[in-house]
Amino acid sequence: MSPTLAIMTVGILVPFIILLVISFWTRDGFGFDTTFTTNNYVRAWSEPIFGALLQRSFWISGVATLVTVLLCYPMAYYVAFHVHRNKMMWIILMTLPFWTSYLLRVFAWKVILGYEGVINSGLMTVGLIDQPLEFLLYSQEAVIITLAHAWAAFAILPLYVSLEKIDKSLLEAATDLGDGPVARFFRITLPLSMPGVIAACFLIFIPTTGDYITPALLGGPDGAMIGNFIQLQFGRVNNWPMGATLSIVLMLWISLIALVFLFITRKAQEKIA
Amino acid sequence: MDVVDQLGAVREGKLSRRKFTQGLLAAGVAMTTLPVSARRAAASGDEATFFTWGGYDIPELFKPYEAKNGALPNFSIFGGSEEALTKMRGGFVVDVSHPCNQALPRWVASGLFQPIDVTRLSNWSDVMPELVDLPGNAADGGNVWMAPFDWGQTSVTYRTDMFELEGEESWDMLWDKRYANRLGSLASGADAWWCGAIKAGVDFADIATDEAFEKIAAVMREQRPLIRTYTDDTTTLEQALSSGEMVAAMTWNSSATLLKSEGVPVKFAAPKEGALTWVCGVVIHKDAPNLDRAYDVIDSLLSVESGKFMINDYGYGHSNIKSFDEFDAATLQDLGLSKNPFEILEAGHFQQPQSQDWETRMNETFEQIKAGF
Repeated sequence: MSPTLAIMTVGILVPFIILLVISFWTRDGFGFDTTFTTNNYVRAWSEPIFGALLQRSFWISGVATLVTVLLCYPMAYYVAFHVHRNKMMWIILMTLPFWTSYLLRVFAWKVILGYEGVINSGLMTVGLIDQPLEFLLYSQEAVIITLAHAWAAFAILPLYVSLEKIDKSLLEAATDLGDGPVARFFRITLPLSMPGVIAACFLIFIPTTGDYITPALLGGPDGAMIGNFIQLQFGRVNNWPMGATLSIVLMLWISLIALVFLFITRKAQEKIA
Repeated sequence: MDVVDQLGAVREGKLSRRKFTQGLLAAGVAMTTLPVSARRAAASGDEATFFTWGGYDIPELFKPYEAKNGALPNFSIFGGSEEALTKMRGGFVVDVSHPCNQALPRWVASGLFQPIDVTRLSNWSDVMPELVDLPGNAADGGNVWMAPFDWGQTSVTYRTDMFELEGEESWDMLWDKRYANRLGSLASGADAWWCGAIKAGVDFADIATDEAFEKIAAVMREQRPLIRTYTDDTTTLEQALSSGEMVAAMTWNSSATLLKSEGVPVKFAAPKEGALTWVCGVVIHKDAPNLDRAYDVIDSLLSVESGKFMINDYGYGHSNIKSFDEFDAATLQDLGLSKNPFEILEAGHFQQPQSQDWETRMNETFEQIKAGF
């Protein structure tokens, strides 16, 4: 067995099988009732709370993904086409904030969005508002803003790589054939950078859907996501089988959404081509 | 791979993509392994590990320990005792942990702890016997599993300048619609659910009945839209009260005492329905790797020095009767304390141990309510 395969087996496959097996058990006091049952899955399907939390998670991380990609595309574009010296330096500088701990960045946003935070005190000093804006913190918006910033590095890198790879002579050809900058962008640059866009979407959407710490610190009661609920099952609620089931259900949903997304972009690309 | 070479290459614009990825990989590996080695370094030496609530991980409570062993114990923090028990049940081994009377019988039943040999504690003779004599502890004529350490109340801390009181102080304050989105609550059902029971008028003796569940769930649901955030982190509540983001929140004694010492105009309410009262203490893990130091941790917590700090700086009751001799009756009354702990504990609603099933059902229900269901 090659080392890669061994690591994959021990690090991913075995834990996954354990998770899968536990998801078919039932909690029994402090132990497990190991009789096989699909009760947890029935509950996950029938009780509205789980569906609602999943929906909310997909909504929050979907919006966060969109915002991140929209914000990062121009940055990657600039470096790929308009920076000619020290490109790597630019990329390193752009990703520099992401070398600090994720938790620290989330806390930083708590300070920025807080009741007496940077934004609120700034707006109040300027005189635009007299009462601090309460929705800035402990809301879904707060979670989206933070996720969009915290995962930016994961969008910039694939976007930059795919933009960088574009053959510049194609752009010149488009210009020679009469395309203006806008038409050129939509007909050449964007379609050719789609692999980067798709990669960025996946890299952000998949991990943020199950994100735990951001909604826990910034979400408040209405910003809680499925990750928080899964954590509770393994912690305070003390129902590991249910937690395992929810993790599996989340994984299945993400796979499904990813497949649909991939299918749509394939179709779109075929149409353009 | 030489870092200076890399930086040179970056400056000359010659860093290849391959090199760059290698650099990223190295940085990534370094970042993920650094905390591990740092954690090991912190855990090295033979100090005991104290698994406790936030706020007890401070040097002030471990002066005797430090004097004896030359270092502080290691700390690990939990947000609620149910979370702590689940974590230890999952294999997390510590030396000493910190449950409360209500959870104690279930903690003992988990088989994760060892009885305390009180003869090894120099401060034991000063510990108030009423606090040791609790259900699940020595009261049943059995072992001493928990050495009582702190006792206090869960009540409402409110801004006297911002919260307009209507009539007497009451739990209704945390259900006051005038202050929607400006009220806070502890996230743990071990506090919030019991406070909900007081608000709903449920006698703690009946708290396990279906009817009680429905009644309490109803008041918790009613409160939920008014709550800005539920948190286990008392600092979050304290900061929110101090900035005026919240005008009232469910807290323990310490939050009010700390805020007062900062000059924030707050009061720890004495609700007309009665506050929630509890006794917490320390237990020793059955596989405690540093048993001698574990006893040092407990002895240090039970010392008069620590007690003085607990009363003066946190406003909690302490289990060492001599700690109270440092204060006059007026100061104690001002803090809502007394030399006779049961005068205070019985005046409020004293938490009672419940079964594991109850605990699980309660947490499940409460988490659903918090999530909006």
